[in-house]
Amino acid sequence: MSLFLIAALPFLGAVFPALLIRAGRNASSASAGATTFLALLGLLVNAPAVFRGEVVTARFDWLPGLGLNANFYLDGLGFLFAGLILGIGLLIILYARFYLSREDPMGQFYTYLLLFQGAMVGIVLSDNILLLLIFWELTSLSSFLLIGYWKHLPAGRQGARMALAVTGSGGLAMIAGMLILGNVVSSYDLTVILQNKELIQASPYYMPALILILLGAFTKSAQFPFHFWLPHAMAAPTPVSAYLHSATMVKAGLFLMARMWPVLAGTDAWFYIVATTGLITMVLGAVIALFKDDLKALLAFSTVSHLGLITMLLGFGTKIAAVVAVFHIINHATFKAALFMSAGIIDHETHTRDIKRLGGLRHLMPVTFVIATVAALSMAGIPPLNGFLSKEMMLEEAVHTTWLNSPYLVPGVVLIAALFSATYSFRFIAHVFLGPKRDDYPAKPHDPGVGMWLAPAILVTLVILIGLFSKAIVGPLVAVASGAVIGGGELPYYSLKIWHGFTPALYMSIVATVGAIVLLSVHGRFEQIWNAIPRPEAKVIFDAIIGGMTALSRKITEGLHNRSMARYSAIFVVFVVSLAGYAYYTGTDSVPTRIGIEPGIMPIIGWICLMGATICLVVFHHNRFVSLVLVGVVGLIISIGFNYLSAPDLALTQISVEVVTIILLLLALNFMPKETPWETTNERRFRDVIIAGISGLGVGGLIYALMMRDFAFPSISEFHLANSYKGGGGTNVVNVILVDFRGFDTFGEIIVLGIAALVIYALTEAVLGTRVRAHLLNRKPDMPQSGDAHPLMMVVVTRVMMPIALMVAAYIFFRGHNLPGGGFIAGLIAAIAFIMQYMASGFSWAAERQKVFYHGIIGSGVLIAAITGMGAWLNGKPFLTSAFGYIHWPPLEEFEWATAMGFDLGVFLAVVGAVMLALESLSRFAWQPGIASEHAMDINPARDDDEIDEKKEV
Amino acid sequence: MIQADLTVILPEIVLAVYAMVALLGAVYTTKDGVAPLLVWTTSGLMAVLAIWIATSGNGTNVAFNGMFVDDGFARFAKVAILLSAAAVLVMSQDYMNRRGLLRFEYPLLVALAAVGMMMMVSAGDLMALYMGLELQSLALYVVAALRRDSVKSTEAGLKYFVLGALSSGLLLYGASLVYGFSGTTLFSGIIQTAKHGELSVGMLFGLIFLISGLAFKVSAVPFHMWTPDVYEGSPTPITAFFATAPKVAAMALFARLMHDAFGAAVKDWQQVIVLLSVLSMFLGAIAAIGQRDIKRLMAFSSIAHMGYALIGLAAGTELGVKSMLMYLAIYVTMNVGTFAFILMMERDGQPVTDIEALRQYGRREPGKALAVLILMFSLAGVPPMLGFFAKYGVWQAGVQADLTGLVIASAVASVIGAFYYLRIVFYMYFGEEPEEALDTHSSPILWAALMGSAALMLVGVVYQFGIEGAAAAAAATLVN
Repeated sequence: MSLFLIAALPFLGAVFPALLIRAGRNASSASAGATTFLALLGLLVNAPAVFRGEVVTARFDWLPGLGLNANFYLDGLGFLFAGLILGIGLLIILYARFYLSREDPMGQFYTYLLLFQGAMVGIVLSDNILLLLIFWELTSLSSFLLIGYWKHLPAGRQGARMALAVTGSGGLAMIAGMLILGNVVSSYDLTVILQNKELIQASPYYMPALILILLGAFTKSAQFPFHFWLPHAMAAPTPVSAYLHSATMVKAGLFLMARMWPVLAGTDAWFYIVATTGLITMVLGAVIALFKDDLKALLAFSTVSHLGLITMLLGFGTKIAAVVAVFHIINHATFKAALFMSAGIIDHETHTRDIKRLGGLRHLMPVTFVIATVAALSMAGIPPLNGFLSKEMMLEEAVHTTWLNSPYLVPGVVLIAALFSATYSFRFIAHVFLGPKRDDYPAKPHDPGVGMWLAPAILVTLVILIGLFSKAIVGPLVAVASGAVIGGGELPYYSLKIWHGFTPALYMSIVATVGAIVLLSVHGRFEQIWNAIPRPEAKVIFDAIIGGMTALSRKITEGLHNRSMARYSAIFVVFVVSLAGYAYYTGTDSVPTRIGIEPGIMPIIGWICLMGATICLVVFHHNRFVSLVLVGVVGLIISIGFNYLSAPDLALTQISVEVVTIILLLLALNFMPKETPWETTNERRFRDVIIAGISGLGVGGLIYALMMRDFAFPSISEFHLANSYKGGGGTNVVNVILVDFRGFDTFGEIIVLGIAALVIYALTEAVLGTRVRAHLLNRKPDMPQSGDAHPLMMVVVTRVMMPIALMVAAYIFFRGHNLPGGGFIAGLIAAIAFIMQYMASGFSWAAERQKVFYHGIIGSGVLIAAITGMGAWLNGKPFLTSAFGYIHWPPLEEFEWATAMGFDLGVFLAVVGAVMLALESLSRFAWQPGIASEHAMDINPARDDDEIDEKKEV
Repeated sequence: MIQADLTVILPEIVLAVYAMVALLGAVYTTKDGVAPLLVWTTSGLMAVLAIWIATSGNGTNVAFNGMFVDDGFARFAKVAILLSAAAVLVMSQDYMNRRGLLRFEYPLLVALAAVGMMMMVSAGDLMALYMGLELQSLALYVVAALRRDSVKSTEAGLKYFVLGALSSGLLLYGASLVYGFSGTTLFSGIIQTAKHGELSVGMLFGLIFLISGLAFKVSAVPFHMWTPDVYEGSPTPITAFFATAPKVAAMALFARLMHDAFGAAVKDWQQVIVLLSVLSMFLGAIAAIGQRDIKRLMAFSSIAHMGYALIGLAAGTELGVKSMLMYLAIYVTMNVGTFAFILMMERDGQPVTDIEALRQYGRREPGKALAVLILMFSLAGVPPMLGFFAKYGVWQAGVQADLTGLVIASAVASVIGAFYYLRIVFYMYFGEEPEEALDTHSSPILWAALMGSAALMLVGVVYQFGIEGAAAAAAATLVN
């Protein structure tokens, strides 16, 4: 049968139990069993080829772009594992049929079980490491579902979560390791990787790859210090424990180490990491197992110990040790599955797994007694059972191993492990079955039906048969499997038999067995001591780590994301500054190509004023009014600076923009508290001063460096200077830029300006339509306002100034094309003239005299600009191309006439309209009944002065 | 000439004109009354445009003297952007409607943001880049603060805006430096300057500032500060939008700028991207552990995912770009499904975002819980879900580009990150019975999005609908 089909069968079959459960529990389990049986049959069909030493393959390119092929291959090792998985799987299905009670959803159980089985078969048959990874994680997932199957038990939930967290994480680490390995060999096919031992071991990536892969293997096989999850996964139904923790899931890690053995083993690193881990795990598991009262916990820790044993053997790195490892894998699977099932039977019949509440069961449950005893004796390593054989061979290997020049360390530790191992095995027999009958069992124990003990009985038969006739039964299997592990070449000499003569191993065995009996006899006292010793509980540590991580994470999160804008910006700025520093230090600096101008006395004074104002602004920013004044100072100095550097245009623009914005801000200040809140601490301010100082200096330095160097191209100023008159008909370059070179920009800008003003208007309308209006109307000023809203002097001055200001605006407008000025500045000046009227004489007074709506002014400005621009089309030129000419108008002198002026008029109108509309809208917020005087300073001869006085008194 | 240019940019024009016409139309008719209709027409139009772009274009077409590039890379990104935006928009209608948030501006702002994103991925010039970026950002600033009466939402929007302005400023500064030292804003011109050996310090500064500005848009650490606040504060459909299309656009733009303009100086930017990537992966993974709010969790999740996608960019190779595109496509699909579920989460008609509310959800709604389980495993990058292949792809690219350290760090981060996705699964299946059960309001659209995306996570492993080929072709057009 094709390998594809073998791997796919469990997955395909997983549908049936869930569907057939309606037809009854038998049908459901039969379908699961049939699927497994078919897959096993398919495997056995390939047996002759495997035993001939051939490798059966099935190839299919899946995602070649990623190097992922669905390649399967079957060699001795794969055959052994697949056989174990499917064979024991079949027995488990049989056992589970009778174990699960009527209330348990059995269809679901078999579905999960088959999914898990498929994933396991996939692991052992994969040729592609990516495919292997996929199946690897699938086992984590499906085992998660299986372990958590009994959802009503909180322990099951915890166990499932821990198992998934540990093995899943290990699997992810392994992915990285595999990826590195695949990259070193430039193939992701195991068959290729396995042939490149030298290449891999010589690579600098050998160590990282080794550690990452071992992380995956160790977590899966519950090796120290990841051993803690396995006992906690025991809350699962017993068939699951028997399957996952004897034959399959925990063996996946061993399988992986065996699979990668040819390329990874043989180095010092491998020996010290793997063998040491195995050794520690073996002893630790054995010791803890002795003191567990829960039958399944005892078995779980014994599993940990045996897994450690096999890991240690693989870690030795010798061929013969690898053979022993393979042999012990077979033996452990048989006796441990039988033991788990027996434990399950005891639990099922007596309703307890607590050893302290059991004892004397040999008369009540004779069949179970025989099965469990044989299996436990095999676990203890008593001849002639199979456990003895592999244990002897293991001891033999341990004797020949030196660890860091110490020949006694490994044998000594192994002896202790063997001693404890025998002790807990004996305890299992003695404290459960032997001793007097009790009358306080939670349920009346008796042997279960044949369906339940058949599966363990078959396994126990194998235990005895392998022990007696090992060569005949498993000899060829061990040979092909270990041949696959050691990766070709001659198998070392070994012999699978009971009697090897009087060897050190035999003496050690005897010591262990005798010692075990002694230890068991004093177990009670020993246990008291054990319980008195404080020792780290792995689960507590795990929970503490998780808890600590969560707390740490919260701390980090709260530290970084405390929702404070200041902190966000601080981090942002610090990082950018450090990146820039990095850029500065890694890049190659070029030599300055320009010479700086000698600073005169005036610039220095200006600079000091600027810096002083800025620093004062930072210091006094809590007082809003003072900061506004200081902002004004800064703006003023900048405009003076422009002037000093021969840019009167910019100076003019800057100063008019300054005035408008200050007025605007003054209006806004009216509605705000006088001071900003004090929120910062001294430390934070200190931090911010440093950050701001460094980044400010950085930016300053950067700008200085830039200005001292030439760019990749000459400055565009030359072009503008040369073409300003020729092309645009004006000598004021800035204005020509505005209305001609960058006319399109300006056109866009006036539209944006107009939109902004309209939005302010719309917002005002919307806001004043709500409750805010009432709030504004009832607003009480926090300090008494000036008694005279419209001071006489100011009103007089503004009215006198208005025509003058408008005249200036007109003047500025007309001279703009050739001398500093232009539509924009003129617009601002005109706007200031109007605003002053509002301020001095009051809103109502001004509004009454307003003849044109500002919306219209904005619109007409934009339209005029657009029409001027389109005029160029008549000329056959693109939009906004300006034209100019000279007109001689008889009474006057000859003067220039440029289309740019039409455009500038548009700008002028748009600016006036926009500024006025914005200010008018804002000032509506300030309107309160009673503050406006209808007749501020209106000279009305008909008016009676007494009337005014009366009004004041009201 | 102009006609040829306009033909290249036609999809963008169609969408932009649609948005403007619809905006005016809605203003002069029933305003919010037409919002449901607009949602449907907008997403319909975007889906049609996606299909059009996917099927029509071939080769590389350049418009406006190289400022706008329509090539395989741009088309791949545009299809992903349009489809995910359309999906999220359709998903949001019911949610927004029931909570009185469905304003007619919402679908149109999304459409305008999409236009900006399409501009971004097609930018062949620093100015076009900025135009697209700002169009997108401005639309996003507004939608982030769409829930005007919520302090959280407006605060988030304001923070996003201020930090966004800061990053835009940096980007502009960088752009002007690059222009100053290379004499051109065209990517094709900049790369010529870079070809003459090392970059000058000025160019280097420009590059760093450009990267900083773009890192903000992809919310890479430490420019990610806005992400959790905005994700949490915005209405869930808008969070979903933030987590999908803009991420694709920003990453694609990032890749285009790095390869098209600075492709000759990979060494100069690789280190910075590696740093951003490592920081993002770790911060995303670690910070997410402590989150109780699923939207905040998804924010950190998206930060971490951007970190993984950045590995593909850091590789600086064709394979890297391809894996990055694959990553983004898969990431977007996962997120659409996940957010479809988050949109369903509610109790008594009120949206719920507390993770603990999910306890025992698996028993009440086994089907949906299974879909969420698949999505969570996929987000965690556990094989055999599609998310694993995404991660695997970038790792492969990283290893081949000799960034083994980065890949190992990333594996470690993904182990940490797996924890919080699994916690959600844990709550759903094994959590204790909650005091108040979560009901999931399910509309057919949400249900379809959740199930479809979960199914894709499984089906995609077997058959990837030709996306891989398209991504490879797209990467080939970018890196040459």
